[in-house]
Amino acid sequence: MGLLTNLRDSISRVTDGLFAADEPKRIGIYGPPNAGKTTLANRIARDWTGDAVGPESHIPHETRRARRKEGVEIERNGRTVTIDIVDTPGVTTKVDYKEFLDHDMEKDDAVRRSREATEGVAEAMHWLREDVDGVIYVLDSTTDPFTQVNTMLIGIIESQDLPALILANKTDLPGADVQQIANAFPQHETIPLSALEGDNMDEVYTKIAEYFG
Amino acid sequence: MPHQCTTCGRTFPDGSKEMLSGCPDCGGNKFQFKPAGATEEPAGDDAGSPGASADPSPSTPEGPTGSTADQGTSDGAAADPTPDERAADPSPGEAADATRPDAAASADRSSETDGTEQIADRSDEDTAQASARSEVVSPDELDRASREVENTEDPSPAEGEQPGIDALRDELNDQFESIRIVSPGQYELNLMELYDRQEYIISLQEDGRYVIEMPDAWGIQDE
Ligand SMILES: Nc1nc2c(ncn2[C@@H]2O[C@H](COP(=O)(O)OP(=O)(O)OP(=O)(O)O)[C@@H](O)[C@H]2O)c(=O)[nH]1
Ligand SMILES: [Mg+2]
Repeated sequence: MGLLTNLRDSISRVTDGLFAADEPKRIGIYGPPNAGKTTLANRIARDWTGDAVGPESHIPHETRRARRKEGVEIERNGRTVTIDIVDTPGVTTKVDYKEFLDHDMEKDDAVRRSREATEGVAEAMHWLREDVDGVIYVLDSTTDPFTQVNTMLIGIIESQDLPALILANKTDLPGADVQQIANAFPQHETIPLSALEGDNMDEVYTKIAEYFG
Repeated sequence: MPHQCTTCGRTFPDGSKEMLSGCPDCGGNKFQFKPAGATEEPAGDDAGSPGASADPSPSTPEGPTGSTADQGTSDGAAADPTPDERAADPSPGEAADATRPDAAASADRSSETDGTEQIADRSDEDTAQASARSEVVSPDELDRASREVENTEDPSPAEGEQPGIDALRDELNDQFESIRIVSPGQYELNLMELYDRQEYIISLQEDGRYVIEMPDAWGIQDE
């Protein structure tokens, strides 16, 4: 990393020390498009604050700007852990408007969505570098986890020493294979869940409190 | 002069370090990419364009999983800027890694530290996204920025494939390898490059323009 990065790191460490030690950690929800990041963010936010974070959709790249919900207080074992959650746009190495045409979208809209999605990926990567204290990495457990995007993002997260939880989402679906995700990233804890159905959220909250509290 | 301050219109050679601390004239810190092909000279055959040779800035940061592919051949390599030859690319991101912590003083900006959208209540996606977008740069600004460039280039709006658009695109791809525009609506992203970059890309436009925001002054002068 460059000198500036190092400088900046040390400065933010100093700043961290100056401000309250229990500043809420900012937790980025990352993962490929359509994994269920927003569904999870909404569930967490609704469970603990009553609000939602943003719209969910079966069409990829629904989230094209990072969205944040601050001061989410999660209670575990008589202790309250406060976090800020940031729902980020799905990260990918290729965006093609043609993919959206299958979803009944006009070409103009598809091209615009594609451009916004690309900007969204840039933004997500920017936030990963600059502004998150921990990561919840969401994967769709019906899809192959061995992708370039996953490998690269997990690599970046590890290189930054960010605490990270891997969530194997969509366990309600017949093709879900949680073990494959656990095998892909053996160095991390993998937690199965269905963000849509709310299955296993208790364990998810326990782990969030443990990792990010 | 591929970059232009969106506030006062001052242009900068590609990779100019001056941009790092905001525009020296007006303090603005939003810059718009302005392809060299859009100005007087045709792109590609002018190896001696001011930016290309003036500032090779070889200090591409090391990515956590290794290095980016095209490090190391920066100096003096500006002789042959063919579209595929990216090694000599003195792109703004690389320049942004120049070690000039002291230069970062004048910028006055808050959006960098917190660009996400704070969720107040459930709102319709389009509105929410539009407002998020305008938080970073107002439609007005974008508009103005675009028009300024348009004045210096082909006055007809970029609609679809017009002559010269390919050259512009090549130029952009050359300068800005973190996002490759394959064709309108089709992009390839170099995640490692995006991650390594310090400037924040805020608006990408099909015809080879984009608006970027330089990193905040980081408060280093407060040390
Ligand atoms: N069956 C099932 N579907 C889910 C689950 N979680 C999310 N989905 C669906 O998957 C689709 C994508 O969900 P989103 O939450 O929008 O996904 P995302 O990761 O935010 O996607 P982008 O914003 O495009 O990156 C939607 O149709 C959701 O209803 C789950 O646990 N089970
Ligand atoms: Mg989403």
